[in-house]
Amino acid sequence: MAQNQAGQPNAGGGQPRIPRWLSIVVMGRHPKVTMVRIAVLVVTSFVVFKFILLPIRIEGISMWPTYQDRSWNFVNRLAYLRHEPQRGDVVSIRLAGPHVMYLKRIIGLPGETVAFKNGRVLINGEMLNEPYEKSPCQWNCPPVVLGPNEYYVVGDNRTMPPELHKHGEILRSRIVGKLLL
Amino acid sequence: MKIIFRILLLAALAALGIWLWSVLFPDPEKVIRQRLVELARAASSLSNESDLARLAAAHRVAGFFSTNVELNVELPELNQHNSLTQEEITQAALFARSRAGGLQVKFPDINVMVAPGKRSATVDLTVTATAGSESESFVQEMKFTLHKIDGQWLITRVETVKTLSRCWPNSRCHFELCTAAGSFHS
Repeated sequence: MAQNQAGQPNAGGGQPRIPRWLSIVVMGRHPKVTMVRIAVLVVTSFVVFKFILLPIRIEGISMWPTYQDRSWNFVNRLAYLRHEPQRGDVVSIRLAGPHVMYLKRIIGLPGETVAFKNGRVLINGEMLNEPYEKSPCQWNCPPVVLGPNEYYVVGDNRTMPPELHKHGEILRSRIVGKLLL
Repeated sequence: MKIIFRILLLAALAALGIWLWSVLFPDPEKVIRQRLVELARAASSLSNESDLARLAAAHRVAGFFSTNVELNVELPELNQHNSLTQEEITQAALFARSRAGGLQVKFPDINVMVAPGKRSATVDLTVTATAGSESESFVQEMKFTLHKIDGQWLITRVETVKTLSRCWPNSRCHFELCTAAGSFHS
């Protein structure tokens, strides 16, 4: 009978076995169960991080100070399954695909009129309270009426001229999801 | 055993046939994707590039375009609606490559739609360009139109896609007295 004690070679003179303690540390007491667990973990991670929570790295300062340049976050792709995007939500907006996206905050909802006057956002002519905007500036943009499937998005950092800051109307279909953290 | 061997042989022959077919008659979508990846590679440059290498690369970039390219580009710093010759594209590529610190161009998302006749195609793609000396990238969604000319897929039209409407020269937004200082690329 083959000797299965830790560190002991087989009686048949074959290759030395892995020490039992090491085998337990690496694969557990039930290797088959461990293998199944690893497989489940890999599949779950793939499904979660590919289709539900998209890991992203933020580049740029357009969402400063809420989100810092080169920080990491997740986009929840299921956030808008049960309800439509809300004002104040930070969303990711796809360009040609999901590998590079814009990160912006929704300030205008479908059907509303959005304008900037002396740096303040006007929704249907009324000033919008924006506690997340920490750097007041003097943007002036004429009113724009949003279509039935359009949202108005803008970054929190408005310290640059408006023509250098990517903002404006987007279609609902371009919103990939809501930022998780 | 003999039957298994014959089945395996047949499967191998079928795989070889499929591979040969894909090599001899490549899918236009695949060819276009490959050409665009090559274009991005050709448009990228190293910081210590010699003048001769720069010129050769600029000519290589121009080779991806037709003799006359229709241009419809609207960017905050550039607003062009005209056509470009291959010589002008070479000059533009040379200018871009002359930037200090090199240039890294990528097309991370490429969506190809080949027309039914397989003679023309439209490509919706994201362009990212990073100059070596800058920390932030230029990001823009663009649409290319390609035609099969003399057996080669060449870009005949380049246009910008307005993902967000207000970052354009005709947005009629303006800015007065900013309270913070610094340079921004948003």
